[in-house]
Amino acid sequence: MLRFIAGRLIVVIAVAITLSFITFFLLNYAIDPAQAVAGEEALFEEIEQVRIQYGFDRPILERYFEWASGVMRGNFGESYYWNKSVYLLVLERAPETITLALMSVSVTIIIAIPLGILAALNPNSIIDRFALGIAVAAQAVPNFWLGLLMIILFALTFPIFPVSGDKTYFHFVLPAIVLGASSVPPVMRLMRTGLLDVVDSDYIRTARSNGFYGWNLTINHSMRNAVLPVVSVLAVQLGHKFGGSVITESVFAINGLGRLALESILGTDIPTVQILVFIFAFMFLIFNLFADILNAYLDPRLRK
Amino acid sequence: MNNFLEIKNLSIAFPGNHLVNTLNNFNLKLEKNGSLGIVGESGSGKTLSMLALTRLLPKQAIVSSGSIDFLNHNLSEIDNLNFYRNFSGKKISMIFQEPMTALNPVYTIGRQLMHTYMYHNKVGKKEAHHKSLEMLSSVKLSDNLERMKQYPHQLSGGQRQRVMIAMALINNPSLLIADEPTTALDVTVQKEIINLIQELKEKFGMALIFISHDLGVVSQVSKNIIVMKRGDIIETGKTYNVLNKPKKLYTKTLISCLKNLNTKRKKNQRQKNNKIIEVKNLSKIYKLPSKLFSAKKIINAVNDINFSVYEGETLSIIGESGSGKSTVAKMLNGLLTPDRGEILISNKDVNKLDTNERAEMIQPVFQDPYSTLNPNHTIGYIIARPLILNKPFLFDELRNLVLKTMDLVGLDKGFYYRFPNQLSGGQRQRVAIARAIILEPKILICDEPTSSLDVTIQEQILQLLKNLKQKLGITIILISHDISVVKYLSERILVMLDGEIVETGDTISTLQNPKKEYTKKLMSAVYEI
Repeated sequence: MLRFIAGRLIVVIAVAITLSFITFFLLNYAIDPAQAVAGEEALFEEIEQVRIQYGFDRPILERYFEWASGVMRGNFGESYYWNKSVYLLVLERAPETITLALMSVSVTIIIAIPLGILAALNPNSIIDRFALGIAVAAQAVPNFWLGLLMIILFALTFPIFPVSGDKTYFHFVLPAIVLGASSVPPVMRLMRTGLLDVVDSDYIRTARSNGFYGWNLTINHSMRNAVLPVVSVLAVQLGHKFGGSVITESVFAINGLGRLALESILGTDIPTVQILVFIFAFMFLIFNLFADILNAYLDPRLRK
Repeated sequence: MNNFLEIKNLSIAFPGNHLVNTLNNFNLKLEKNGSLGIVGESGSGKTLSMLALTRLLPKQAIVSSGSIDFLNHNLSEIDNLNFYRNFSGKKISMIFQEPMTALNPVYTIGRQLMHTYMYHNKVGKKEAHHKSLEMLSSVKLSDNLERMKQYPHQLSGGQRQRVMIAMALINNPSLLIADEPTTALDVTVQKEIINLIQELKEKFGMALIFISHDLGVVSQVSKNIIVMKRGDIIETGKTYNVLNKPKKLYTKTLISCLKNLNTKRKKNQRQKNNKIIEVKNLSKIYKLPSKLFSAKKIINAVNDINFSVYEGETLSIIGESGSGKSTVAKMLNGLLTPDRGEILISNKDVNKLDTNERAEMIQPVFQDPYSTLNPNHTIGYIIARPLILNKPFLFDELRNLVLKTMDLVGLDKGFYYRFPNQLSGGQRQRVAIARAIILEPKILICDEPTSSLDVTIQEQILQLLKNLKQKLGITIILISHDISVVKYLSERILVMLDGEIVETGDTISTLQNPKKEYTKKLMSAVYEI
């Protein structure tokens, strides 16, 4: 098991290095960093002066290594747009996004897993149709629209939750539901098909022939097998929540990383965008690593 | 006196356009500690009847009539909950055909055994652990403390089936149902498992119902026998009587098929023909995909083997799964290239032959006739295909040749425009043979040509191969794990184990006086009536 984890960890590090390489190069070739700092209306001479002043005239590899070694030491550079250390900027905004991501994935789990199980245990029943209906609806409804609808319904017509902001956990309930709803369809479907396959399998027939039935059969004999594919998908969904909450954060005025990314892109703030893209991608890697480890714990055949 | 188990007029149907009984008026009587064998081909309803008893029928199945009495209970009056708690696994246990998939892959052997015991006996973990160990040793597994912590994928097929048996018997049931428990296992392991089941039946004092398609195996383990076909009971009675004085035609054909396969043939005097195939120092290595940080695993599928095949003879290659016999067949066909050594067919290297040239020399017949025929092509086209590819003929001539070949393999002209899904397994295998012989090849390689067919069909196909060989003078290389098929068809055999040739020689004398330990083991695993 330890060997398995060590192996995966090395892969993750290798991918992360490649990733940082690619983001740095793409961003620095797509936009002229000197022009970005100097502003759109800057004269040619001004831009050239900025280039020398900030060291943008040095070879790109040299600048990459400088940036990368900075990142390793927690020095993410200075934001030209916010006039602030990027490190502080990220540290300020991260808690909001982490709270939102964890809460929305909890919403997904609470809705999708039980619905999937019920649907699988009663295939083609009313419950199954209802679950499928929810899945289709959740997939079809755009996030921003669902957000606005929720605000009108649960914040204005029935003022249960605050309209927007991020002061208390209470503020996160509506956005978490909105963000979590979009992940319900894939997770629920996988839970359903996974469990359906397991219920039909030979080892469940063996368990039934030994007298196991009902919830005992489902919880103690089927769930661990059925949940394997769900774990991987949940990891991907959690990754999505980190990088993909831009719209929801905007609708509910939550000052998270998503909004920071949006604002930094609009302000062509290369250092901030650079580190955010890297963080979002790195989160994906980390969650997938966790999912792999969890799956290996659940299924001994994967440990090799 | 009340019977231990009595099933009366059990009928089971599946909903469709018409409600047709898949199982029809099934009757069964079994006394305490008795033994009963149910024999039949696939689709005969032999498993279905037992699934009805254990309440494991598929959801769609409808039990349309019948009653089951077991241990003085009328089972139809007992509701499901009561049945699961007091009968399944406790009074009636079942073991299944596929030990590979019948154990839960994500739980240890120990947990699965202990859960089954704790569930019915309401005891603590310690006691369950003790009992599980005891059961593992009674199914003759070793290192059981270690074994309890292992997962199913760490065990071999035979070991898994032993664990299955241990699990089925852990609650000391009074009836054990074994549904083809050895079919998926290698021949040598088969015998061990059957002996174990018989031994445990006596030790635990339980009744046994043994379901199999193999008359030989059933006659070994059970005193009474039921012969089934298409949902009906054809014949029933004491095993000895049924086998020696069968009353019904179906039973007679079933027995004569087996006997035909087992008849001792006279030693052939082989005339020394020319060598048609020469295999020199042949080796094939499979490399498993390497994982990061671990050395590449290499499997010697075929390891430096030498043999020759003479013109007009039938050579059998026998061995268990993983012995490398199919790899040899694929290399002879040119479907795989050897890593070392060479294969000379009429003194030409197979791998240097042009595809068309090779096709005219050597043709394959594969095991599964269901997947080797393209479902979108007509039978006529399937058989004509090698001709179209190799010899551009005129349409009329092509059609005539195909019809001639179909006649040769015993297929009616009417099949010309049919599609494969309209044919039975036996007919499909005839199509596959017709396709193989239409180019009039010198050599036919048959890889388990009858393994997926029912016994009665098996004999017809083997008969066909034998006739073809006489008529066309084809050299046949037969790959099989089935000793009786080998005995029936071939003059010379080649026994393989772990990629090497263990023994080779004349079929009859080798099988009667095997010299090597492994061949002896293989032979002893064959049941005869």
